[in-house]
Amino acid sequence: MLDSERLAVAAHVHVLLRRKTGRVTDTEWMACNADYAREVVRFCRLRARQDTLPELGEWADRLERAMQLAPAPTPAPPGLAAISAAQPPQPPGGAERYVGGIR
Amino acid sequence: MDMTGRQDFARRPHSGRAAGLTMALAGLACWAPPASAAGEGAAASPPLTAPAMVPMGALNGADTGWLMVCTALVLLMTLPGVALFYAGMVRRKNVLNTLASVLLVACVVSVLWFAAGYSLAFTPGDGLLGGITRLGFAGLDPDWAGQRVSVSHMAPNVPEAAFAMFQLSFAVITAALLVGALVERMRFTALLVFIALWTLAVYVPVAHWVWEPGGWLARLGALDFAGGTVVHVNAGAAGLACAWYLGPRQGYGRVAFEPYNLGWTMLGASLLLIGWFGFNAGSALAADSRAALALAVTHLAAAGGALGWLSAEWLLRRRASLLGLCSGLVAGLVAITPAAGYVGLGPALLIGLMAGAVCYWGATGLKRALGADDALDVFGVHGVGGIVGSLLTGVFASRSIAGVQAQIGTQLLTVLAVAVFSFAATGVLLWLTDRLVGLRVSDASEQTGLDLSLHRERLG
Repeated sequence: MLDSERLAVAAHVHVLLRRKTGRVTDTEWMACNADYAREVVRFCRLRARQDTLPELGEWADRLERAMQLAPAPTPAPPGLAAISAAQPPQPPGGAERYVGGIR
Repeated sequence: MDMTGRQDFARRPHSGRAAGLTMALAGLACWAPPASAAGEGAAASPPLTAPAMVPMGALNGADTGWLMVCTALVLLMTLPGVALFYAGMVRRKNVLNTLASVLLVACVVSVLWFAAGYSLAFTPGDGLLGGITRLGFAGLDPDWAGQRVSVSHMAPNVPEAAFAMFQLSFAVITAALLVGALVERMRFTALLVFIALWTLAVYVPVAHWVWEPGGWLARLGALDFAGGTVVHVNAGAAGLACAWYLGPRQGYGRVAFEPYNLGWTMLGASLLLIGWFGFNAGSALAADSRAALALAVTHLAAAGGALGWLSAEWLLRRRASLLGLCSGLVAGLVAITPAAGYVGLGPALLIGLMAGAVCYWGATGLKRALGADDALDVFGVHGVGGIVGSLLTGVFASRSIAGVQAQIGTQLLTVLAVAVFSFAATGVLLWLTDRLVGLRVSDASEQTGLDLSLHRERLG
């Protein structure tokens, strides 16, 4: 997908979120940063369920495809969600590997 | 100064570059007119002291062919050797930028070399800088009608174009090594401007000082067969300056910077090993026994370097790593570079083993002590390895091989002079580049990754 198309999808999601939820997002960042886009997708789906906004869910799917994000993982059991969210994936060899130097 | 040594120098020059003068005398004898009754006893032509036109028959075909092959080998070290070596070590989001940076450096240096760099480095001038006779791509075209060709006084057995190209390949890889210190945070335009300035203001003078017979360090008797100081100490010191001036990458010291693909790094290291045969053995400027010796000691030192690093890593971390083996291999190659034409096999293995262990410290403990984000350890491997090798050249250089007695003091002076000049001048050039175009990418671009933010490209 072209960058311009990706940006167009992000812009539409931005407008929807602004109108339906009041949440303001960074469109350009959404179109180029996978982590940010993934979080926006999660938020869209959450509010789509909570507020019964199917259009928001559809555009979350489009954004996910546009950014080639992996499908959202199965929600972790309560209690573990906070821990898994706080710990980024560790490189091989433990948390200190590749910190402050690669050798 | 040992006068005997200096007299030996006149007959068997100790510099790798000047070793060609020995071959030149043999070559010139081939085309000198046969002695006639009237001309018997006439003196042989004196050795060249500057580039000159000579009959094409004076050239040595084997030496010329060998030098051109070595040029290709050394260029291969940069493209894709250094490119793969470095790109495999950076984070995924900066891989393409790293590859592009090395390619950009190769192109910029290539043009500048023939425009000005070669003349200012390798033609006679004064002790600090060469002359201008080869500026503006001048002087390398053969005279086909007259069957004459230009040769350098430093390699009169081969066409000057071949010699200039061989030297170009060294200028290219030296500049390319700097990329390892500044990756993942430098603007592409800034890299172009900085490398152009650095090649002319730092590499060219240093090459002249150490290799051109009129250079002040060469006149003092500095031994640097293939670039321990000119390439590696130079690049290492400059890399450290780059790392300090640019500042650390976001998250450095807190976040893991996982290498993209160490398999690429191993491929790159392998290309470096093979290409280094051209780097060291080619510096004999002839297909002769010195080149053969350099070939053998280079390989042995590389193996020693890998084993030396592996030993250190095993002792301290109880494991061996692919990156460690690759890094040790390169460390051994760096260290043997100044000594390749002057030492035997036993000392070569020792040099490699010691360099591997010391460079392990250079890339770990010393790096932490220095506190600079030298991303890919340019100083720790090339700088430290070049210093170790240059000093050990003073210890192990054999008078029977080199033709002169090595002087530890001269080696130390050479290392210090090159390192201090390179570090200081690089800092000034970075400041200048920063004022002209701005050095560092924005925080957002760095976070996104330079592949997307600078090139709008991704690995896929």
